[in-house]
Amino acid sequence: MRFELLQLAAQLQPPVEVDAAGVPVVESTGSFWNPLTYTVFLPLAGALLLLLVPKGNEALVKLGALITSLLTFGMGLYLLLEFDYSESGKQFFANIPWIEVINSRYIVGIDGISLPLLALTVFVVPLCIIYSWNHIPSPGNPKAFFVLLLVLETGMIGSFIALDLILFFVFFEVVLLPMYFLIGVWGGPDRKYASLKFFLYTLFGSALMIVAFLALYFLSDPVMVDGALIGSFDMTLLPDLAAAGVGTTAALWIFGGMFIGFGVKVPMFPFHTWLPDAHTQAPTVGSVILAAVLLKLGTYGFVRIAIPILPEAAKTWAPVIALLAVIGIIYGALCCLAQTDMKRLIAFSSVAHMGFTMLAISSLTDFGINAAIFGMVAHGLITGMLFFIAGSTKERYHTLEIARLGGMLKQAPRMGWILGLCTMASLGLPGLAGFWGEFPAILSVYQPAEGLNLAFFRTMMVIAAIGTVFAAGYLLWLYQRVAFGVPSEEFENDPEITDVQPLEWVAWLPMLVLIVVLGFLPGLLFNTTNPAVVESLAALGG
Amino acid sequence: MTFAASMLASVDHPPIDWHALAPELIVLGVLAIIILVDAFGGEDRKWAISSITSIGLLVAIVPVVTMAVDGAVRSMFDAAYVVDNYALLFKALFLVAGYIVVLLSTNYIAEGDYWEGEYYQLLLASILGMMIMASARDLIGIFVALETISIPAYMLAAWRKRESRSDEAGLKYYLMGVFASGVLLYGMSLLYGLTGSTRLVDIAAAVSGEAPALVIVAIVFTIVGFGFKVSAVPFHTWAPDVYEGAPTPVTAFVAVASKAAGFVALITVVLVAFPTQPEIFEPLIWALAAATMTVGNVIALRQTNMVRLLAYSGVAQAGYMLAPLAIAGHSATSAELATSAIATYLVIYMAMNLGAFGIVIAMARKTGSAELSSYGGMLNYAPALTVAMTIFVFSLAGIPFLAGWYGKLAVVLALVQPGTWFGYSMAIIVGVNSVIALGYYAKIARIMWIDPAPDGDTTRVRVPVSVASALVITAVLTVAIGVYPPLVDQFTGAESFLTLGF
Amino acid sequence: MLLNQFLLLGAVLFCIGVYGVLVRRNGVMVLMSIELILNAVNINLVAFGTHLQQATGQAFALFVIPIAAAEVAVGLAIVLMIYRNRRSIDVDSLDEMKG
Repeated sequence: MRFELLQLAAQLQPPVEVDAAGVPVVESTGSFWNPLTYTVFLPLAGALLLLLVPKGNEALVKLGALITSLLTFGMGLYLLLEFDYSESGKQFFANIPWIEVINSRYIVGIDGISLPLLALTVFVVPLCIIYSWNHIPSPGNPKAFFVLLLVLETGMIGSFIALDLILFFVFFEVVLLPMYFLIGVWGGPDRKYASLKFFLYTLFGSALMIVAFLALYFLSDPVMVDGALIGSFDMTLLPDLAAAGVGTTAALWIFGGMFIGFGVKVPMFPFHTWLPDAHTQAPTVGSVILAAVLLKLGTYGFVRIAIPILPEAAKTWAPVIALLAVIGIIYGALCCLAQTDMKRLIAFSSVAHMGFTMLAISSLTDFGINAAIFGMVAHGLITGMLFFIAGSTKERYHTLEIARLGGMLKQAPRMGWILGLCTMASLGLPGLAGFWGEFPAILSVYQPAEGLNLAFFRTMMVIAAIGTVFAAGYLLWLYQRVAFGVPSEEFENDPEITDVQPLEWVAWLPMLVLIVVLGFLPGLLFNTTNPAVVESLAALGG
Repeated sequence: MTFAASMLASVDHPPIDWHALAPELIVLGVLAIIILVDAFGGEDRKWAISSITSIGLLVAIVPVVTMAVDGAVRSMFDAAYVVDNYALLFKALFLVAGYIVVLLSTNYIAEGDYWEGEYYQLLLASILGMMIMASARDLIGIFVALETISIPAYMLAAWRKRESRSDEAGLKYYLMGVFASGVLLYGMSLLYGLTGSTRLVDIAAAVSGEAPALVIVAIVFTIVGFGFKVSAVPFHTWAPDVYEGAPTPVTAFVAVASKAAGFVALITVVLVAFPTQPEIFEPLIWALAAATMTVGNVIALRQTNMVRLLAYSGVAQAGYMLAPLAIAGHSATSAELATSAIATYLVIYMAMNLGAFGIVIAMARKTGSAELSSYGGMLNYAPALTVAMTIFVFSLAGIPFLAGWYGKLAVVLALVQPGTWFGYSMAIIVGVNSVIALGYYAKIARIMWIDPAPDGDTTRVRVPVSVASALVITAVLTVAIGVYPPLVDQFTGAESFLTLGF
Repeated sequence: MLLNQFLLLGAVLFCIGVYGVLVRRNGVMVLMSIELILNAVNINLVAFGTHLQQATGQAFALFVIPIAAAEVAVGLAIVLMIYRNRRSIDVDSLDEMKG
């Protein structure tokens, strides 16, 4: 098996062949037994095996989940090592028939845009499992918890490797169910409401998204499959096919459908209201995964699908995206200032941070998109960490009310310092990962893509810059209230308030290291993403 | 030519293709056998009836498969009875659905104080009618098939005859059904008079072009008549009461097989006889579909009884299935896409909905109730049933990797294809309704997974082998089709699936 | 040929039947109204058949008649069961299930 893997490694997407009439000819390439297939279905296989373990045997369940996620992480490492960083095309590529009637195919492959997010996913899940080792939230049942977590991982990985719109849609939706149950069963007191709201919002978005995908399918030029002309869902072909077939008005509507579909997930300003509830009610691990990976599915959708396929429509929509992004930044920051609950504050800070990412995307330049991807990874690590800390705080203090907390640096100094590092990273301190997500994002709209209104975008830039000041404000305020001062009376001699536990160290340290490493060596990520980003924007003329 | 002479001239001996009729004949034979076993077998042989029925249904699938393999279109009786891929798919669907219903019924009927022999006889008669419906391409054939389906179903709905709820269900179903077939028949009589033929292809030829007012009346009456059968709003009012009052296996049968038969008839009539009249049937079906899914979903949200909830969810699902017909008149391609979308949806619907009713039957053995609250805490004492039910409800909701998503995709695909606002608006209505529907499907999941068991009763549920095997079959189908949709659409997407009247 | 008159008769019978189904509360009367609808259909079929000089109409009517008989037999049986259980055949009293 190992040898087979090596042979298939880093298979590049072959150039598209065209017949005499200029119609692309689709042929199957690669094999289903592709390293990416292993990566995506390993967690699912592990989950199915876990189902067979008797419920009482908790140790075996946990071990099985950990081994599965570590194996998946191993696959991720393998992909990272085998990946050709100088190449802009899709690697580990496979294209085989799936639903032949509609020419939806099992097309998978990764490039510099998806690799970091894929790596982030396989990186975060084992840490979550380690963190949950002794922290299965009430009402227990670790078997169901870990099975759902692994199914969730399959959905997330699948979304990042799928290069077929229908396949992407399917994985995008697979994520919903486990997350619904994670929030609904293991969440806080308002979990029923929060989980349903999360589910309904996302599903509403995806309903519009699928209509948009299908419209794209019918309006775009056909391809040749087995000698017959048929529409295509292939993301790598659609930029050309759509350019030829989709009219300007139709493109605007289709982009609008995707805009809502992905915008709900990001979440962008008017669609964001599910996020604070979901984050606040979700169990710690759920919040971490939500922040670290799920939100990225939305921004990834813009970068991978909406903009490359419909660049002209993207230009028309860009000011709307920029405006909503900036509203999100300011609104998120103002909401943060009004929060009394630590977890809710972090949730609103997510709205603001994703606003920066969306602002960078709206610039439609390679500089902006690179910044956006960096922002996604940085936000995933930093906010994920903040949610870990919030979870551990909740466990020790049994409350997240900022007014009641205080003196963490005295009672649990290491945790206090970690919180400090993360808040600094979150507010964009140079030298930490957050800076490279935020600063280039703002800078990118100084010079947006050709044809976009310069004055408007520069105004947006200024407002976004003011947003960073707010961010510093609420994060420092949070840190000051939680970590500084003396512990309040009620917690003064509470024996439950301990410093960072060994398992927490294991779960957190890798993330902290990455936050610092990416802060000092941003080139690691920028060099990975750049070739693919440049290629994906080819249709925009640079 | 005198009238009498014309009558004589039309009587000759049509050639009969016995292979094509084999599935129907096998079911008929099994029906005869169980009548004999019931009459002469004595009380101690009653148990054999359900086994004979289920084996007979499986045997009847064999000729369906052999015909599917050779793929020829068999047309008999002056093209009034056609066995094409479309007919074969639905015959297989009815036989499989019938088989699963028998599995679900076995313990229910044997343990209750019910008439075992007659139950299976009526069930088989109804299935026979469905199989005829799949092939009928003539008004008379369609009418006879419809009544062969319905009359036994009325009796089955009232099966628990000492219970007033069951009687009530039976009478409501009967009155609505008979009234609908009266309306339908009146439409058919007009159609016959105006076109001079009962064969659908002749009708298609005769009504092409500008339609006189009476043709419009005839088309509307026909669609309304079938609207009752598929429980389209505003003709759905019987469904919840019948579902609740009838024995649950019968409910499953009515909800799945009988509804599918209604759709088969509707597709055949609309697309073979009226495809040239889209400006009449498209707006009508658009309105019916939009109302059906919206009303069904909104009312389902406030149900507290699982069976009634599934009834309204079934109404909404009928709306999704009606939707593609609203654009089917746009072009031959649209009609083909619409037909295969509905067929795909029906196959998937069969698996997931029969499964859901199977869970209701299994759970009722423990709780004796179908109230939603009685499903609380299932995760803790019946994890396998909980996972199965979760699969079924989220498949009904259309969440991927569970078959329902592909049904919805096929529907939306058909709707988007013509590129008209008519289709796009319907696609968006389908999308919005899927979101509304999630409200109650998620509620079911939530009750099973989160809520505590009522009265803290967490004794295990004993599931009879036959019900368990029905659940395994439906759950496996639901997941398998969801992961690999070509399992269905290699049949429904086949070329020349149904010979259309274009 | 008096086709229109027959069709008119059919239409009138159909309307009376529909009215009866919608308005009458007595189960047996509802059944009779349904019979009226089916007979309206038969009149239509026979009239069209004769007008078109075809056997099809009559044949169709011959199919409708026994099926109508079977339907009514089942209907009466169900009404009888209702009567046994409730001592009433008022269709409006069938309201145990709602929602």
